[in-house]
Amino acid sequence: MASTPIAVSRAPVARPDDQPSAIARFFLSPVGLITARVGLIVLLLVAWEGASGRLVSKYWLSSPSAIAAKLWSWIADGSLWLHLHATLLEMGLGYVIGCIAGVVVGLILGFLPTVYRVVMPFLGGLYCLPKIALAPLFVIVLGIDLGSKVALVGITVFFLILYSTLDGIHDIDRDLVQSMRLMGATRREVSIKVLIPGCLRWVFTGMRIAVRYAFTAAVLGEVIAANRGVGYLVEANAGQFNSTGVFAAVLVLVACSLTFSELLTRFEASTSKGRSGL
Amino acid sequence: MQMTANIVEAAQPRPHAPAAPAKIRLGGVSKSFTVRGLETRALETVDLDVESREFVSLVGPSGCGKSTVLNMVAGLLSPTTGDVFYDDAPLRGLNARAGYMTQKDTLLPWRTTEQNIGVPLELHCRAVPRKELRERVSEIINVVGLRGFEKHYPAELSGGMRKRVALARTLIYEPETLLMDEPFGALDAQLKLLMHDQLQRLTMQRQMTVMFVTHDLAEAIALSDRVVVMSARPGRIRVVRDIPLPRPRDVFKIRFTDTFSALHEELWDELKDEVVKGTDV
Repeated sequence: MASTPIAVSRAPVARPDDQPSAIARFFLSPVGLITARVGLIVLLLVAWEGASGRLVSKYWLSSPSAIAAKLWSWIADGSLWLHLHATLLEMGLGYVIGCIAGVVVGLILGFLPTVYRVVMPFLGGLYCLPKIALAPLFVIVLGIDLGSKVALVGITVFFLILYSTLDGIHDIDRDLVQSMRLMGATRREVSIKVLIPGCLRWVFTGMRIAVRYAFTAAVLGEVIAANRGVGYLVEANAGQFNSTGVFAAVLVLVACSLTFSELLTRFEASTSKGRSGL
Repeated sequence: MQMTANIVEAAQPRPHAPAAPAKIRLGGVSKSFTVRGLETRALETVDLDVESREFVSLVGPSGCGKSTVLNMVAGLLSPTTGDVFYDDAPLRGLNARAGYMTQKDTLLPWRTTEQNIGVPLELHCRAVPRKELRERVSEIINVVGLRGFEKHYPAELSGGMRKRVALARTLIYEPETLLMDEPFGALDAQLKLLMHDQLQRLTMQRQMTVMFVTHDLAEAIALSDRVVVMSARPGRIRVVRDIPLPRPRDVFKIRFTDTFSALHEELWDELKDEVVKGTDV
């Protein structure tokens, strides 16, 4: 009986989200959303600009205007493209090499379970190893140019793709394989018609995730030792205690990661529409 | 061994039985599974001969080892004791001469209906030209009533439709032996009858040997030359009954005939004790 008054008192109260207010409705519309985002950025920049030199020393915090000027100077003298090009090249080459090697080795190990059982613990150990620990080794062996960064990106991507391929093959319903064998399929036909198409979805998932890791690995490699690249810009400016340069370089990285993230989102949306059967 | 109840019927000569040796022979076959150190007897010693071109149904309560029998004939399981003979040779490894339609549909999720149905004809062992493949797929799609769903993926089909895709995929390559594990369980009553009609036509026309597992006694009688009633777990053969209904049968009306009713009653008497026992377990 004690609960009755509570229930009664609750009933007439409308939930606040039943009817969004006019302001909330505006910010939910496409124009409102952009307005809100731009407004937020402007607000932060103004606050930053105001705080810089007054509340906190410019030496630590720099200022949006100084960062914009720095970025502009990099664009004007072409150094931005040089560094961006270096980073994207390392990332791209390492990514492609890592993907191909990962799929190939993954398929081989997937088709040869005995070999897989032998090498499994070694692979597991290497997979969990933070690849960044190998960066100094790559620098010793391959120098501070392109090679060491491609190797770091490549090995990072390789293990991600290797494990998605293996997971894909191990995830395949054994009954599918069995039914194909009963129809008279050879081992080769089972591989082509069941195992490879069956693990593709996993491989694609791995490849999407690996883009982010490849970018991180390329930049980290440059931070450790390089003579060009956006990561090198961060490191070189930090070495000179030039906070403006560090912020400008980080801003370039943010722009890159936003681009990758947007491209991947669009790609995912377009592929998931295609085959609902997958 | 004394428990093998096929002895009951073994003395009666089968009117249609040809002199030829059995297509499939289960010779003293039993099967035990060991799960977590505990041995379970799934199938007691079973002896059964299936003649070439014969349609034999296995009925019995859940868990009586019907599917185990089919798995052994398909070569997916090897018997604990005894041997499965196919064309008089002991079966070793997978039996690719038998088309097996399992209870679970094993369609490839990334292939459409027509691509799934065409799979057996793409294989090297019976590869056919592209044009013939398309024609045969189209023909069998009509037979199982999937016109309009050629481009659908399995995930977009209902359970009954997926069953029909699996059926079409099994029928399209005309294996000499069909093993079917409750192929029509998921279909509604009308569709089931249509499928019975088609199955009878195809198996007669193509002279297939069929082993058919079902819960549905009426279905078993309507389709079979012989019905094998199995006991509750551990499974063994309780009775083997000839179905002396002439072929071709009108599957839509046959269940209203007196012979059918008499057979149904007789076999149901055998089955019902086992079903009761089976549900106790």
